Amino acid sequence: MSDRARIGFDVRRWETWPHAWKEWALRVLAMAIGVGVVGVLLATSRDLGYARDEGFYFHAARRYAEWFSLLADDRAAAIRRGAVDAHFVTNHEHPAFVKSLFALSHLADRRFHLFDEPGTAFRFPAMVLAGVMAMVTFLWGARRIGVAAGIVASLSLVFMPRVFYNAHLACFDVPITALFISTFYAYDRTLETSGIRWPVTTGVIFGLALNTKHNSWFLPIALSAHAMALALVAWRTKTSVRGAVRRPIAALIAMASIGPLVFVLGWPWLWFDTWARFKEYASFHLNHEYYNMEFLGQNYWEPPMPRLYAPVMTLATVPFVTLACAAVGLWVRGRDAVKGLRERDEDWQSRHGTTLLWVMGVLVSYGAWTSPNTPIFGGTKHWMNAYPFLALLAGAGLARAAGALREELELRGISRLPTAVAPICAALAIGSPVVQALRAHPWGLSAYTPIVGGAPGAASLGLNRTFWGYTTGSLVDYLNREVPKNGRVYPHDTAAPAWDMLQADGRLRKDIVAVWSADEADIALYHHEMHMQGQEYQAWVAFGTVQPDIVRGLDGVPVIWAYKRQSLATSGQSQKK
Amino acid sequence: MKRVNLRWLYAALPLAGAVEMVAAIGFGHAAPGPDDYERLVPELASVYREGDLVVVTPRWAEPHVRHAAGDPFFPLRAIARSDDASFPRVVEISLRGARSDAFEGYREVDHREVGNLELFVLENPAPERVVFDFVEALEPGWASAGGTDPPTTCPWNPRAEIMTGGLGGHPGFPRARFVCPDSPYLNVSATVIADQSFLPRRCIWAHPTKRGARVVRYSGVPLGDRIEGHGGMYWMIERERKGAPVTLEVRVDGETVGSVVHEDGDGWKPFSFPLEERAGRPSATVEFFVSSPDYRDRHFCFQADTR
Repeated sequence: MSDRARIGFDVRRWETWPHAWKEWALRVLAMAIGVGVVGVLLATSRDLGYARDEGFYFHAARRYAEWFSLLADDRAAAIRRGAVDAHFVTNHEHPAFVKSLFALSHLADRRFHLFDEPGTAFRFPAMVLAGVMAMVTFLWGARRIGVAAGIVASLSLVFMPRVFYNAHLACFDVPITALFISTFYAYDRTLETSGIRWPVTTGVIFGLALNTKHNSWFLPIALSAHAMALALVAWRTKTSVRGAVRRPIAALIAMASIGPLVFVLGWPWLWFDTWARFKEYASFHLNHEYYNMEFLGQNYWEPPMPRLYAPVMTLATVPFVTLACAAVGLWVRGRDAVKGLRERDEDWQSRHGTTLLWVMGVLVSYGAWTSPNTPIFGGTKHWMNAYPFLALLAGAGLARAAGALREELELRGISRLPTAVAPICAALAIGSPVVQALRAHPWGLSAYTPIVGGAPGAASLGLNRTFWGYTTGSLVDYLNREVPKNGRVYPHDTAAPAWDMLQADGRLRKDIVAVWSADEADIALYHHEMHMQGQEYQAWVAFGTVQPDIVRGLDGVPVIWAYKRQSLATSGQSQKK
Repeated sequence: MKRVNLRWLYAALPLAGAVEMVAAIGFGHAAPGPDDYERLVPELASVYREGDLVVVTPRWAEPHVRHAAGDPFFPLRAIARSDDASFPRVVEISLRGARSDAFEGYREVDHREVGNLELFVLENPAPERVVFDFVEALEPGWASAGGTDPPTTCPWNPRAEIMTGGLGGHPGFPRARFVCPDSPYLNVSATVIADQSFLPRRCIWAHPTKRGARVVRYSGVPLGDRIEGHGGMYWMIERERKGAPVTLEVRVDGETVGSVVHEDGDGWKPFSFPLEERAGRPSATVEFFVSSPDYRDRHFCFQADTR
């Protein structure tokens, strides 16, 4: 019995469909998933305030947009060093591809009024890349396991609560995750096809990944390791080593040649003083400053960082059902792969090469966080690249479970139930992540899974409650109501451009002035982070009260609260209607 | 014996999803809501006595109680205390049965349930009587401030401009404070800092001077058996461990009763100086001298009382 038949997870009579039909069906389904994901993100974006880093990227994208406008008007002037440097010096510690997309989306919105809010225009390209991430995950899962398994993998990924939060943002973390898995996928397609289409595609996507975030540096390591592993397998199974590595090497050559070209051409900052500027960029990330992060009641801001951080936080934030399915997927597929190796299976590469690739994806994404010198300040987003692979393994695990259960039911002569097994299993596997992600929104960075007791359990354990200052967005109704006309607010950790975007969106009254210390403010916000508690104490002294005027958060756990100047509190002076 | 078919174990996977989904919803509704905290206030008011310490366990829920109950139940001397020993009674508000270890040995004298919250009134078996609290008494009636080199005085300004450092900046300087020459930092005031554990500490801001020492002088102080307290700096200042040591010397009626050196990394460091033959004097002059060989970024703050 073939694996695909055994898993019982495909569309009815799928095996009998002509190949071209199947291809089109997969593409249509992938597109539907991608569009659906973008639709959900757009529909929920308005609830979510702007993260600190988004503010910096808005600023950079506006400078890029000016350059694109110049490029359209006067190409010769735009490509001169002075113009390039003037526009791309902003935020040059990060590459340009995604910020360029933010800029182009911003320009398109200004011209065609595509979005309700200007902030959404900046966020939209990252949302599209989240859709791409979901599509690629689906396609890969559907091709290698089955359609429903692909759907489970794709939706399990998107609705991991932290991924769902990050997928809204005009940041680089979900875009690099999308391009990371896309590079892997293109490489895998290279292995199963002939011709130059997929190697070239691998090279181009790798170039875009390089031009998105430095996580991409791990891609050649992972894929070279995979190629070497295939060579070893070929040697073991007494098949042609040359034949085994021919296509992987084609992809790697394309990555080595096309990737850097796309990287440099797509990042105008590197057009001049290329090597010096690249070294500066690399050095920034290789010697990154340490920021603070709470973990199990301790604040970490310098090495040694806790080695348990990545595994514990994964367990605490990725839905357990996804992890359990991934563990089963890894076990059953790993066991099959080892068995194939023992038996010197000549078709080992085509049967198990993809599983090996998924495992490589997980290992290379977590690898850096086994070092106590790797910063942890960004929380789970640091290793988000691993999550598509975990989701694919989860799809594989659930497929195997559904297949086994269906077979058992069929053996017992229960004729109707077996066809419902796969949809029921899929619904139960996806249901938990969906519920968790939607319940946590818009408090995504406060979301914790039931295994640690949810948000209340995590607060008691001393796990970070929030960062990036984005939860100001959850108090705009309060601020609009309570701040007197032309009143002043201390936004604490919300960066000025993120605050400005709330006003540009029309979410926050434009007359409200942001000030940068509590003593100048009528209302002082406090976003809770362990190392930020001094900010709250400043408000106590400045306002002469320890009584917050409002407390909001997730599941009864305070995340953001606000202090009101006593004179305002007693006079009732506000914009209350 | 019939062999168990392990393939049915696969059913655990989708079932895990169902259980997790229910648990996620359950945890979401388990914590007390705003109504619970509002209903707690009359109960709290009915048991609370002036001088009680109100604590919330777990501490993360405290903002909800402060929001609902307000300042009368959370004076700064209690919420930003350095120790619990001087409080004769503790009102512990507990979520879902969570209890603090700090009050083991205290006698429970009252217990009430309000929705998901419980309220325990606990009696301290051996409260320490504070004879004089130097932080609370930091005002012209009791205290004065100055420097030794050159000799300077810091006039009391009840209407100075409130100052807070913002993100990463200095603690708040209250409106009423002793204003010293040269820099706004060089004031003497009762503030609250985040210590090395990020806990709030009510203390006297006494930044050392470039030369000599900053002096905070109290007159007419009734003495207990000892002067004890704590000293430290805002966490961000201490964490680099690059600053010069700060010395706090305590004199009673002109004689040194003890001194403590604070090195970066010491955190909220306790000290206790027995008063020996001076113990129990009804009126004494107590002086705190704060000095450092390099006064830069020495955001020193101390708390002291005599008990």
